[in-house]
Amino acid sequence: MSGVERIKAAVNFQPPDRVPVIAQVFGHAATVAGVPLGEYVRSGKALARCQLQALKQYDYDAVFALMDTSVETEAVGSVLTYRADQYPSVRTYALSDGTDLEGLSIPDPHRAGRMPELLEAASILRREVGDDVLVVGCVLGPMTLATQLVGIEVALYLAIDDPERFSCLLDFATETVIQFGISQIEVGAHLPIVFDPSASPAVIPYQFFREFELPRLRKVFASFKQAGAAVNWLHIAGPAEPILSLYPQAGVDIANIDYEVDPLGAQRALPQTCLDGNIKPLAFVEATPDVVADEASKLMNLFAARGGFIMSSGCEIPPESRPENIAAMVAAARERI
Amino acid sequence: MSTSMDPLVKALLDGDQIQAVAEARRLCDTGVAHERIVTEGIEVAMGQLDTKCTMEQFNLLEIMLAGRAVMGVIKELYPSGAPPLQTKGTVVMASPEGDVHDLGKNVLRVVLTAKAYHVVDCGKDCPLDRLIDAAEREGAFAIAVSGLMTSLIPQVRQIRDKITKRGLGHIKVMAGGAALKQASAESLNVDFLAQTAFDGARYLDQIAGGGQ
Repeated sequence: MSGVERIKAAVNFQPPDRVPVIAQVFGHAATVAGVPLGEYVRSGKALARCQLQALKQYDYDAVFALMDTSVETEAVGSVLTYRADQYPSVRTYALSDGTDLEGLSIPDPHRAGRMPELLEAASILRREVGDDVLVVGCVLGPMTLATQLVGIEVALYLAIDDPERFSCLLDFATETVIQFGISQIEVGAHLPIVFDPSASPAVIPYQFFREFELPRLRKVFASFKQAGAAVNWLHIAGPAEPILSLYPQAGVDIANIDYEVDPLGAQRALPQTCLDGNIKPLAFVEATPDVVADEASKLMNLFAARGGFIMSSGCEIPPESRPENIAAMVAAARERI
Repeated sequence: MSTSMDPLVKALLDGDQIQAVAEARRLCDTGVAHERIVTEGIEVAMGQLDTKCTMEQFNLLEIMLAGRAVMGVIKELYPSGAPPLQTKGTVVMASPEGDVHDLGKNVLRVVLTAKAYHVVDCGKDCPLDRLIDAAEREGAFAIAVSGLMTSLIPQVRQIRDKITKRGLGHIKVMAGGAALKQASAESLNVDFLAQTAFDGARYLDQIAGGGQ
């Protein structure tokens, strides 16, 4: 089986030839290649080169055309601070409280900010790996993009003080995400993962997620499927267990679970949805290969009878992780009979 | 007119800043002392919020709304910005250098302010030396650091040794935030690892004035 076939088998609860394994290696690929993170997130060519090198080193089932969480907001107009060895951060938000949302236009993914660079990365990666492994692009979820457009505190207060205006902000974010994600599929990504940490129950209550975010995620995922996405993958970090049961309504095929989520609880909440996770990210920095392999083995045991599982970390594998720990997770999955 | 604190406590818990400020003003007009509004209104509300915020129910939105209402009431009571009352002690806090996220730290600041601590916020992306300088200058009994990036861990581990070398070993060090809380207090070389802002506040309540 190819990586793509293996992952699709897991999504459909059919037996793959082995447990698929996706290391959420983003900036770590730059570390592996000796490229400054600040360059990695600004050059599609550099990003693709680093991802391919990391793929060669670790031999897992997916690569990522993923820069950071500021690509969309920069394309809309936020000003970022770049540093050589860190992900960029927002210095000035694109929108302020008084911004006229109706006057804004959706950024063109082929022209705005670093969006074209990310598209180039996705295009190169697909050309190089074909269907051997999954090429995963990335968009933010509407809630997370909304918080990145005005700042999280302003966004949350706006949701309560002026829900109508907040809804307009979310709608703008939704359209931005849809256009960007479809462009990624058009240039070759098998799918864009939807990364939505601000929609975590650690940030917003269940009812808020259901009322504001769920309908928009449904729209995003329906648009991606229509554009040809191989699968729909939702990544909400933190203790997401209370909202997992809503994911099928959004059209989610793969649900990422962070290390704080009980895998058995996730199985109960999502009996027919493929799960990926959930080794603690810090383990890749601080633990030993034996510990990581043991954690991976325990997880695979929990899913052995059920299937519908992709071995992975709970969230991003930190850039400074020890390569031998990532290799241990991949080996545990590959050696599993 | 009633001097009951219940409507104020409810407004604070609802995160209704306008109503909370109106209630505080009404209580002032009836002659209730400011200190009583703080201890029997704000602190009671924060205590109830603490109880409500179990790990399962904790979410930033509710905390932020309650926090905004609390700060609105404190501003109403003490418009000059003077310390509201005898403080429980001074806490110096920051997001360490390299981390530009500060929401978690800001939430802790609100919770501690509402619980009558004097809080000195050194901001985000703060070098350790600046944080420790502030702790010494302000006579802090605790330093709190929040981090969303695992790459901060080596810095956090240095705090204990740095303050000890400067003769400030009596200051307690507390850490929290999504990245740091994946570790343990021992591995971070800190006195306490807070799972939430309230968890951290409870720890500070235990040691404040106790000199343990």
